Amino acid sequence: MPEVATDEPGFAKSAGKQLLTFAAIAVLGLGALMFVLDALASLVGSDSGSSSAIEPELNMVTIAFEDEPPQLDSTQRADQISGRVLGHVMEGLLAYDEHSQLIPGVAERWEIDALDATFWLRKDARWSDGEPVTAHDFVFAWRKAADPAEASEYAFMMHYLKNGEAVSNGDMPLDALGVQALDDHTLKVELARPTAFFDKLVAFQTFYPIREDFFRSTNGRYSADAHELLYNGRFKITSWVHGASMMMVKNEHYWNRDAVKLDAIKVGYITQDTHARFNFFKDGKIAYTGLGAEQLSSAMENNFHIRRFQDGSLFYLEFNHQPHRVTRSWHLRRAMQLVTDSGELVNRVIKLPGYLAGKSLFPVYLPGVKETFRREYGEPLQELDRVRALEHLELAKKELGVKEIPTITMLIGDTPISKTQAEYFQAVYKETLGLDVKIDAQIFKQRLEKMTNKDFDIVMAGWGPDYNDPLTFGDLFASWNRNNHGDWKNDEYDALVDIAQNSMDQTERMEAFARMQQILYDEVVLLPHYERGQSYVTHPQLKGLVRRVVGADPDLRYARIEADAS
Amino acid sequence: MAESYRAEDFEPLHVDQATQTLSRPSLSYWQDAWVRLKANRRALFSLYIVLALLAFTLFGPMLWTVDPASQDLDQVSQPPWADRSATLVAPYEPWQGEPAEPGSGLHAAQTPNTQAVRLVWEPMGNAEGGYRIYRNVFAIGPEKAYGLPLGEQFDAALTYFEDRLDLKSASYYYTVVPLNRYGDELEGAVTREIAVRNAITISHAEKRGLLTEGHTAQVGDSITLAAHPLGTDYLGRDMLARLMYGARVSLFIGIVAPFLYVILGVAWGATAGFLGGRMDGLMMRFADFVVALPFLLFMILFKIMFGIGPGESGIMPMLIAMVILSWPATSRLVRGQILQIREEGYIGASRLLGAKTNYLVLRHMIPNTMGVILVTLTFAVPSAIFTEAFLSFIGMGVAPPTPSWGSMCNEGIKTMLTTPHELIFPAVFISITVLAFNLLGDGLRDALDARMRSRE
Repeated sequence: MPEVATDEPGFAKSAGKQLLTFAAIAVLGLGALMFVLDALASLVGSDSGSSSAIEPELNMVTIAFEDEPPQLDSTQRADQISGRVLGHVMEGLLAYDEHSQLIPGVAERWEIDALDATFWLRKDARWSDGEPVTAHDFVFAWRKAADPAEASEYAFMMHYLKNGEAVSNGDMPLDALGVQALDDHTLKVELARPTAFFDKLVAFQTFYPIREDFFRSTNGRYSADAHELLYNGRFKITSWVHGASMMMVKNEHYWNRDAVKLDAIKVGYITQDTHARFNFFKDGKIAYTGLGAEQLSSAMENNFHIRRFQDGSLFYLEFNHQPHRVTRSWHLRRAMQLVTDSGELVNRVIKLPGYLAGKSLFPVYLPGVKETFRREYGEPLQELDRVRALEHLELAKKELGVKEIPTITMLIGDTPISKTQAEYFQAVYKETLGLDVKIDAQIFKQRLEKMTNKDFDIVMAGWGPDYNDPLTFGDLFASWNRNNHGDWKNDEYDALVDIAQNSMDQTERMEAFARMQQILYDEVVLLPHYERGQSYVTHPQLKGLVRRVVGADPDLRYARIEADAS
Repeated sequence: MAESYRAEDFEPLHVDQATQTLSRPSLSYWQDAWVRLKANRRALFSLYIVLALLAFTLFGPMLWTVDPASQDLDQVSQPPWADRSATLVAPYEPWQGEPAEPGSGLHAAQTPNTQAVRLVWEPMGNAEGGYRIYRNVFAIGPEKAYGLPLGEQFDAALTYFEDRLDLKSASYYYTVVPLNRYGDELEGAVTREIAVRNAITISHAEKRGLLTEGHTAQVGDSITLAAHPLGTDYLGRDMLARLMYGARVSLFIGIVAPFLYVILGVAWGATAGFLGGRMDGLMMRFADFVVALPFLLFMILFKIMFGIGPGESGIMPMLIAMVILSWPATSRLVRGQILQIREEGYIGASRLLGAKTNYLVLRHMIPNTMGVILVTLTFAVPSAIFTEAFLSFIGMGVAPPTPSWGSMCNEGIKTMLTTPHELIFPAVFISITVLAFNLLGDGLRDALDARMRSRE
């Protein structure tokens, strides 16, 4: 082999030197550029970002929103952000106080009987232009919500009223709806059937008032901008820069204005990025922010006061019970139930404080007769037994007439948590039962569509409450409910839902819920995974921020700024 | 002319060995290239790295026989250097609490371990509405930041709490704060530092193969948890095993896709260059058209077209999309090269001497373009690996539980700040592989350049 002369070492040396020089120049240049840009940004940003989280002189709090409120017409829909803004600037007949107790709102007093309800409105309730709030404003708004021409997503809320369903289907005229103003300050409601929780319902935003003459004067642009909305709540919107900021100031015409402690709430930033909002909080620009899993350790390091809150949603695994699906087999579902450990899921896989292991369709906060439902009636005992699970699996194979259970499709959302969770269960069912599970991750809308089309074997679903009563969860699995995506049908369960809907006797209703809970467990209709929690941090001087399961959340209506203790 | 010829004049001339000696052995094109590649230490080293990676993927799983999908939930997100000693404990039983002895304050009712920390405390006088329990990894300072809110007991009589949330072998500061009847916090919080030790239940130890059948291990015995040389991920899966299996996907795409599309590009470019004229123009305009197609969109379209359902691997559509959309670069290079070679003097000479098309192509064109082809190939490999990593990173690639380096990075980036090893290892593997292939390509380009031949 001949010697090949090469100048490689010398070349490498000079190349190395060059590289080093370039790298040094690049790093220094970038550093200098960052410095200059930062200086420029601070010059430009000095006027827009000047307000800090808490401004005691102005009595103002600055916060950030995840998103622009999509719709501020209270009769139209009820997403979380719109509900949050509406809760601050509007008031219904009844309202919730800072301890989530029902208190009088526009109505001074009320009477609810089996099939009718009467509300006496306070005389001093005013709109933000100084005009009084009358019973006619409620009648107009409720009819608008039921109007088929408006196609409100929450028209079903009016089904509790007499003729509500017929009106919203267009079978009856609008004035047939069971609500009328006896005079300016008396509202008379006729109900379709006895509704024990009607007082809780009228605190919901679909039942807020809208004044007819103002609505007409906006020419179809009602609620599109700050001046195209009329307010009767504790605050009013004075400026609304779409997609950027919003200013809410105290409503000087509100009847109980002395109870309002804050003069202004500034929504200074609108961003979906949790990390950006956390940085705003760290820099003292906003007074409140939610924490993701990534921010928890940083919040601990910075000695922030972390709070937690159960947001009311339950997440669970729902089965498809249709005849051509393998999950119709009770033995298969039972086998899966016997190896599903929601405690391990919450403690070892999700690992976030605030999450509770799911044990029942009815989350822990729902009211019972006197205390919470779960404290009064408990929950089905969760069993974990692999040996028995395998016995049920064998029976399932016989029941289905197959040698091996075919691959099961698990429909999930595309959030990081549900993906992690799906991978965990995929491995659990593979290791313990030898089941093959295929993960079908879809965006939220697509997942809902696939659920509606019943295009799944099992689906990771979630449900948040519309009102504070177990029925908001209980009627999910009634055979007629469109949200019963797995087509499960059980006559006894349907009869129990009927009792819960129509009975005025709370004990009888709660016993029905307890029986429903047991049927769902015995028949393995769903496997509860967890009750979702949220962690958040607040500015130490901001007091009285309320987190709610139902209604405006987070709620600053009762908040105040405390003088700096230090 | 009177000339006299002698008989010797007509003898064959004696061959003089001295004039025609080869000073060095004759080297073929490939031998010559190999010699020059060997002289390039950087390229040679990269070649070794590439070979080592192939061995890591192909033979690694035979040596390290851990299932990449099996979850060791007793060791979630553990870095490689984590403490693996643990104590055997009895299976978990739900706990209904017990009263604290007077004067004992806040303390752990049973030996605290990673299965559960069971706290009890004495009733506090002002706690009308119960207690809130916090846990911190830092000592509590004057800010009174108690850390993570673990939960509440909404009853002043219930003076116990069980913490099972993601317990690690570490020291925790637990704080119990009394609440008024609305759930607002009152003064009088109690804090206690509690050291938590690793523990594993016997049934889990059996399941993970830490105890052999017929063992005599008892509660309280020490045991060493399963080894994970590169740590575990967020579901307690072995990182080393996942990197080995992930390399399969990455290297499969990284080698097969460029190989296929370089062949396609060479065939297309050579034909265009050889035919020349209108056909050449037509074929190259088609190549320009393909360049303009958006890759990501086609990737998604192929996924739908091939009926790749959700939850199935997207590797085949990825391969096909890459082959269909990436060939024009190679074909342009090869066409240019062929056009150039076609006009070279030696081709004309060869043709004049009666060489057929076959001979021209095989003897002259291919060897002269081989360098370009091989260099494109080695540069295409890292870019394909990178594309795969990128697509898996945004969730278009493999379906879980199959790992690939890109999807591992995607999972690791979520916990970048708390457990950086989950991101660093796959990222390092991607970087090393891409760098090695690039340096190797660099070396090959120098070694295969025909014009550098026998320049020494």
